[in-house]
Order: sequence, then structure tokens, then C-alpha cells
Amino acid sequence: MSAQERRSEDGRDFADAMWSVPGYLLGGMAVYGGIGWLLDRWLGMSAFLPMGAILGSVLAGYLAYRKFSR
Amino acid sequence: MSTLTLLAPHGDEFGAPTPQELFDLSPVAGIEWFTKPVLLAVISAILVIAITWGAFGNPKVVPRGLQNVVEYGYFFVRDQVARPFLGKDADRFMGLLLSIFLLVLVWNVMGVIPVAQFPVASHIAFPAVLALSIYGIKIYLGVKHQGGLGYFKNMMFPPGLPKPIYVLLAPIEFLSNMIIAPFTHAVRLFANMFAGHMLLAFFSMVGFWFLFEKLTPLGAPVGVIGVIMTIVFTGFEIFIEFLQAFLFAMLASMYIGGSLHAEH
Repeated sequence: MSAQERRSEDGRDFADAMWSVPGYLLGGMAVYGGIGWLLDRWLGMSAFLPMGAILGSVLAGYLAYRKFSR
Repeated sequence: MSTLTLLAPHGDEFGAPTPQELFDLSPVAGIEWFTKPVLLAVISAILVIAITWGAFGNPKVVPRGLQNVVEYGYFFVRDQVARPFLGKDADRFMGLLLSIFLLVLVWNVMGVIPVAQFPVASHIAFPAVLALSIYGIKIYLGVKHQGGLGYFKNMMFPPGLPKPIYVLLAPIEFLSNMIIAPFTHAVRLFANMFAGHMLLAFFSMVGFWFLFEKLTPLGAPVGVIGVIMTIVFTGFEIFIEFLQAFLFAMLASMYIGGSLHAEH
């Protein structure tokens, strides 16, 4: 791989990370916050939505870290 | 100027223009769906076709005039948008990416062209159609190059993670790639153009109201500030318009690149 190709590869990874991480965080909060919201509705509680949202953002952060920290 | 007086609230007090007044426009030629943004979108499309036809319809080895100018746009899209994400496939997608970049750029620039003065993309339908087309292309190319199951497997199960955690992370990957990505693709362009148009309308309204409608010794300086801010924000808006056209094309190229090659 030539130097130029490697540079463009780096730029691609960087841009990928920049634009994907907010999506992951949003997605994590939506998925697990949503599951929490459903649990709340089912059980008549209100604690699972915030718990799910926090769990989701932690998981999304972990996913982003594992994917882009190479 | 007459449109601004129409917009001005009845009464003696200044009122900021509302989104209703600015974006809910009446039909142009008596046809219900044919409003100003639709007219501007059609004009923009014709303009882009005419410019690129004029530039590349009869290309010369040594470019002159229009060809020279549009070639700079072409090189910009190729080097900054296509090649970083598509590599050796860049040339195949240049037609699509250049069209998207130029069309979105002209749509946005309509926001500061006198008389037109309406960024087409500030109605979400227009960016939504472009984003949905890119979404369709992305899924088609992904299924074609990685296989129907392979595409979703590569997307939802990126390599290099401990096995049990996939159960928790796959839904996040799916949601962010399949739903949030196309949504933010359209909304990013829409929201920027919407907010920019509101800002420009507000500051020009301030200037017009305090200098022409209700000129008072105390109000005049406020009007002058309004005029200065209008000029400053018009410059800023031109920058944002260019940036958003670039980002829209760049994200399109990124999504296509992600479909052509599985993540490694």
C-alpha cells in the first residue's frame, strides 16, 4: 500500500468514526431506552426508561470504542 | 420590499417573522402543489443540466471558459468526496456524486440569490427524497456486493468483539445504520437551511422595520444593526450552504463506500 493510499485510508476511518459515533449513541439510547419504556408501560413503573437510556449509551460508547480505537 | 410589508404584523409593534409566514407559501400559477420551492427546484435542476452540458458537452483537452470552472468543481468532488471513501471505484460514482453535489449546492444558494431568496432544502421533502434515493442505492449495492445475508451480517456483527456482547450491540448497529443514518442525512441539510433562512429573514426584518416602517431616533440604531447583521449572516450563510452541499455528497459517498466493502 502506497503512502497516499494509507493516508486516504486513515482519512476514511476518521470520517467514518466522526459520522457514525453520534448515530450509535442515538441508536443505543433509542433501543434500550425504548425497551425500558415498554417495560415501564407493562409494569406500570417509570424507572426503566432512564436506566435503559443510560445502559444504551454506555453500550453504544463501548461499541464505538471497540470499532474505532484501532 | 412589498413582500416584506405583507409579512409585517398588523399593529405598531415589531414581530419576528414566523415559520408559517416564511415557509407556507402560496401556489405560483394556481396549481396547488406548484409552490415557490418546487419552481426553484425545477429551475435549479435545469440550471445544473445546462451548466454541466455547457462545460462537458464538447470537452477540450485544454479546458477554457465554463469547462475550466466546472472542472474545478469536478476535481473537488473527486478528490474530497469520492476518492477518500470509494478509492478505485470513485470514477464509477462520479456522475451520481457530482450531480448530487451541484444540485444541492444550487438549491442552497437559491437562499441568497435576490428575488429567489428561498433555500429549496428548507422544505424537508426535497432532502428526504435525495436521502431516500441514496438509502435505496446503499441497500442495493450492499446486497449485491456482500450478499443478502452477508450485508446484514457484516453490518450488525462487526468482527473483533467478544461473542456474548453481540446480542446487546447488534440492535444498536441495525438501528443506527438502517434508520438513524438516512434520517440524519436528510435532517442535517434541512435543519441547516431552515435555521439559516429564519435568521436571515429575522435580521432583514429588523432592519426593514426600524429603518423604513417605523423610523424613530431610538429605533434607528437597532435597524442599522439589523442591516449589518443581515450582511454578515448572508456571508456566513453562503459558507454554510457550500458546507452542507459538501457534507450531503460526502455522506452519500460514505454510505456507498460502506456498502461496496465490508468493514475490516
